[in-house]
Amino acid sequence: MGRFFRRLLALGIFAAAAGWFLTAPTLRDTQAAEALTPDPVHGETIFWASGCASCHAAAGAKGEDAKLLSGGQKFATAFGTFLAPNISPSKEGIGDWTTAQFIHAVQDGVLPDGSHEYPAMPYVAYAKMSDQDIVDLKAFIDGLPPSDVASLPHDVGFPFNIRRSLGGWKLLFGNPAYVLTGTMTPEVERGRYIAEAMAHCGECHTPRNALGGLDTAKWLGGGVIDGTAKVPNVTPGGLDWSEADILNYLTTGATPDFDFVGGAMAHVVDNMGHLPESDVRALVAYLKAVPPVSP
Amino acid sequence: MTRLKLTPLKLTGAAVALLLSTSGLWAQEDPFADAVETRHGLMLQMASDLGKIGAMVKGEVAYDSAAAAKAAANVAAVASVISLEQFPAGSEVGKSADSFAKAELWATPDDFLGKLADLNTAAATLVAGAGTDLDTAKAGLGMVGKACAACHETYRQPEG
Repeated sequence: MGRFFRRLLALGIFAAAAGWFLTAPTLRDTQAAEALTPDPVHGETIFWASGCASCHAAAGAKGEDAKLLSGGQKFATAFGTFLAPNISPSKEGIGDWTTAQFIHAVQDGVLPDGSHEYPAMPYVAYAKMSDQDIVDLKAFIDGLPPSDVASLPHDVGFPFNIRRSLGGWKLLFGNPAYVLTGTMTPEVERGRYIAEAMAHCGECHTPRNALGGLDTAKWLGGGVIDGTAKVPNVTPGGLDWSEADILNYLTTGATPDFDFVGGAMAHVVDNMGHLPESDVRALVAYLKAVPPVSP
Repeated sequence: MTRLKLTPLKLTGAAVALLLSTSGLWAQEDPFADAVETRHGLMLQMASDLGKIGAMVKGEVAYDSAAAAKAAANVAAVASVISLEQFPAGSEVGKSADSFAKAELWATPDDFLGKLADLNTAAATLVAGAGTDLDTAKAGLGMVGKACAACHETYRQPEG
């Protein structure tokens, strides 16, 4: 009997050690990126394409106001309410961060103190961004106005408030591989980079499982945000708009019925306005190329 | 004291009276139905005219200067009609059938009217340029669209 419990205890310690090991943050090598010369002008395009301001600026901020990344927007989810942190170049924000720390935060989901970020930050998407785009993005953000507003803590209950558990989440759902694979035209490939690496369309348009992981088998097949708001299926299985209709929507915000929608997608339309039209066309080509998800 | 006798005729009369009074009650419960229908009609008319210019911008039909100018004039005319008259206090989502207007609209009416003024400014730009050429029409359409979206974003309850 004593031997049985000793074995159980040993097994328990082994499992805990393995769990601790497996949930440890993994960081990528940043040497190559640090050697690059950042281009802050190109960084602005990356900034809008990646939708940073949509969450990190004040709610409803437009134009120049959207460049003050003071944080504070709240995102209600099944796991709790997440509060976007200040990412402006200040003491309260990310002004002191090195290039390596920035890359780990944006692409690995690991903060400078070594803790995991919640996947409310779409680092699984950003993980696919090129080194040059990431350092350009940092250079652009470094030139934005600073904000001294303190970041507020997330309002997340047990067990999700244990950040170490996010290591397990990353093991299960943190695969940064592209969803659309196979041969594709250079235009679709460019659209895939915009949609899957930068604009993180899938974060809202793909359904999530009980643990908050994206159900990539139903990629872009429609999701739910803010607890109840339905996000439409934008695969060819759910969206029968022509390419001209989708292009017009992404550049002007007008549906084929010439209704103009608000909500989170209004931010996306504003963001797309900063991209060259060839990029928006590439995004449209990508949307036409993703596997249809039946409604 | 005479006892009230319930004859079939009296019963029918009572039923009719009850029906009338309840239907009257229904009408009283939604005094904003006309205003909501009117504002939806104005929006649809605007969407119809914006769609005519939009079809040219999308390349679905050839650019037609006269048709674009007429559609732009219609947009400006409809925009000038929209006011708080079609948005009476209380005609908000949940309180009036088919209404999607958020209560915030009446909490900050000056902001709403400001956004409406922006729409009229944008519509004037569209009128000035719609007949010039496709690119100018496209720019004007974009401005009107931004004005539409700015108001919808703040004051319209999303569907679903």
